[in-house]
Amino acid sequence: MRRWLTSREALVTGLLVLLVLFTGLVNPNALKFRSLVEVVNASLSLLLITLGEMFVILTRGIDVSVGSAAGLSAVVLGLTLNLGWPLSLAILAALATGLLAGAVNAVGVTLLRVPPIIMTLGTLGIYRGLMRILTGGSWIENLPQNIKALNLWHLLGVPFFVWATLAVLALTAYVTWRARPARYFYAVGDNPEGAYFLGLPVRPTQFAAYTLAGFFAALAAVVFTSQIGFVSMNAAEGYELKAIAANVVGGVSLTGGVGTPLGAAVGALFMTAVHSMLIFLGVPGIWDNAFAGVILLLVVYLDYHVRRTLEFRRRQARVQGEAAWEAEGGRS
Amino acid sequence: MADQGPLLELRDVWKVFSGVPVLKGVYFDLRPGEIHALLGGNGSGKSTLMKIIAGAYRLDAGEMRLLGRPVRVESPSAAQRLGIYMVPQEPHVFPHLTVRENLSLGLDLDPETFRRKLATVLDHLDFEVDLEEPAAFLSIAQQQLLEIVRGLLRDARVLIFDEPTSALTFREAEQLFDQMRRLTERGIGIVFISHRLGEVMEVAHRVSVLRDGVMVLRAPRERLTPHDLVRAMLPETAEEGEGPAELERARRGERPVLEVRNLTSEAFRDASFDLYPGEVLGIAGLVGSGRTELAEAIVGLDPHARGEVRVGGVLLPRRTPAICQRHGLVYVPEDRHAHGIFLDLPSLYTMTAGILPRLGRFLLASAKERRIGERFVDLLNIKLQGLDQIAGTLSGGNQQKVVLAKALAGEPKVVILDEPTRGIDASARRDVYRLIRRLTAQGLGVILISSELEEVVELADRVLVMYRGRIVGELEGDAISLERVTEASFGMALEAAS
Repeated sequence: MRRWLTSREALVTGLLVLLVLFTGLVNPNALKFRSLVEVVNASLSLLLITLGEMFVILTRGIDVSVGSAAGLSAVVLGLTLNLGWPLSLAILAALATGLLAGAVNAVGVTLLRVPPIIMTLGTLGIYRGLMRILTGGSWIENLPQNIKALNLWHLLGVPFFVWATLAVLALTAYVTWRARPARYFYAVGDNPEGAYFLGLPVRPTQFAAYTLAGFFAALAAVVFTSQIGFVSMNAAEGYELKAIAANVVGGVSLTGGVGTPLGAAVGALFMTAVHSMLIFLGVPGIWDNAFAGVILLLVVYLDYHVRRTLEFRRRQARVQGEAAWEAEGGRS
Repeated sequence: MADQGPLLELRDVWKVFSGVPVLKGVYFDLRPGEIHALLGGNGSGKSTLMKIIAGAYRLDAGEMRLLGRPVRVESPSAAQRLGIYMVPQEPHVFPHLTVRENLSLGLDLDPETFRRKLATVLDHLDFEVDLEEPAAFLSIAQQQLLEIVRGLLRDARVLIFDEPTSALTFREAEQLFDQMRRLTERGIGIVFISHRLGEVMEVAHRVSVLRDGVMVLRAPRERLTPHDLVRAMLPETAEEGEGPAELERARRGERPVLEVRNLTSEAFRDASFDLYPGEVLGIAGLVGSGRTELAEAIVGLDPHARGEVRVGGVLLPRRTPAICQRHGLVYVPEDRHAHGIFLDLPSLYTMTAGILPRLGRFLLASAKERRIGERFVDLLNIKLQGLDQIAGTLSGGNQQKVVLAKALAGEPKVVILDEPTRGIDASARRDVYRLIRRLTAQGLGVILISSELEEVVELADRVLVMYRGRIVGELEGDAISLERVTEASFGMALEAAS
């Protein structure tokens, strides 16, 4: 039964493998170790943002400001580096920015009771605007070598960031699986009223979710800034919607309470892999977005259809069961 | 159990909601090891009283004592810390978490202590369940046991059961009663809220009855009969048999406008009845008896319902609200805000929402639309500044009239009214009653669902009484009386009324 509930991860992983294998049949280059590592490497920032977004969605919320929060963190990272701050301090400043951006959303949603979509739509604009205000609208270039060097480290032929992100994913997965406070994310999203009734800290949990989303956005900012080597004003733009889509593909339910970090990560990997595989297949890049959209709808529809059929059968069986019991003269 | 001080005691408790007192100086006590049943009609204040005990509401005046000590209960979790646990009518289940996770949530125990305690509690209750299964797969009875386990894990000394049997089968209810008796052997006090007198007489040690926020009866069960309980719940001024006697109609030869045969769903079974033109058929029953679900199944809102519905002799094998409307069957739902009215739009939009095709193929004939609107404003005596007044700014009674106008605009043959006068003032209520009489005089068939039994008694020519998802009785003409309808609603068999 447990397997039934988690099958979404299996389904998406299976689809992902099929997609890669199919691409490999057409263009064997896709199956080379280096290509595969490159696909993973390209998915890292989306993966991190998706993980943060997952906590918010688990609590039945939504955060559309994560892309802007990542962009703002990247700006702080770039500016502090160019001011001559040491790498570690600059990264800390970027992470603090992400935390703060998330905390502002959290205050709006949990204390001021602004609906999440409205609160984060507002901060989506504010954070993106702050980026331009801080930089005067120009890109941040000429970053010191130390930040770019992070991306060049390799271990066993795999970039450092891939290892680091895997470590973050493993840690998140473990904590989400075992830690008691992590259980609250699920409980609050699954049945908010019940959570309150049992004395669970409903609002602190929601607060933590939005703050985590900001923090993970900042982690992503560090990764993509190092990978690209400069900060554009459009950095991570549109990632909020990609992250939501990746969560949905990975089985994180928008109605709250369902999903795992692993699923979210596979979802993000899948969304990125679709782009990469289209390139290997020689499909022009202009098809990317349309294709990703079709995949999203397909996965979600399949899943919805299966669930609805099961629910329908269960209810029919209950009506028939009562009728049969009745016919046997069940009630005394 | 005897000679012990009360476990829980409430003295002179008052609760006022927006100026209206709901509890007026109530006394209630619970002894260790006792099952104390609390009875009362809809709106008598018993839910409010229980919510005060369980910490969901705060009392406005009065005192609550636990083992003789005055206590303040600020929240459900505060109540739980004091050893008071309410098993809610709808168990609080986290469907996607496992049973174990459901049970451990909100508990401050280390895993080892939790495991040991849980094992003891499950063993004591004889509750066999797969702890690693998602709670979504639990039956309702198991979900209730899960709530009991939660209470015991919190060392509850006071358990409150709010209509625990309303969703259970007969067998499951019996098992629950055994559990309750076993719990009392450990000194736990149980407050048992139920609408079913049979159950109350079976398990309770003592019975209290609330009526209109006042405790009107408290006595040991042995000294009571079911009739005493019904009498205590009835309003003092109840006048018997004042049904509209002038409606002695000769409708024997007529064809029914609505025929329902063997309609069955999760919430009710084997409903069969006819409705004749010009008749008001009341459906009485307590909350949860299946009344609303029956209405919803008739108009096709429950896709799982089985059975036959004929309107004007035509069988409707597939029913949706739209199909039913086309055949002249309209449902006016209980919750007008959720299902009946466009609150942010001009009132006229709601009134004509059902007949737009008649007002033009693409462009709407606005003059005609306004004429129809004005006709209903007159007919129903709707008080509004103009047809364009936003519906949400009307008073509750006028909103309800707008909803009725919408239902009637399509000139239906049958109207099902679910709680048509809930939350509206006396004069609007009179208007609605007058309208119902006028419509039936023109040959419309009306099904009136109401938890206000007085209303059913006053308006209906015939009454079907539902109890636990079944039509348990039919009363007609002079046989319709408040006492009889009440008794049947609470599950006391009707003596053959003819």
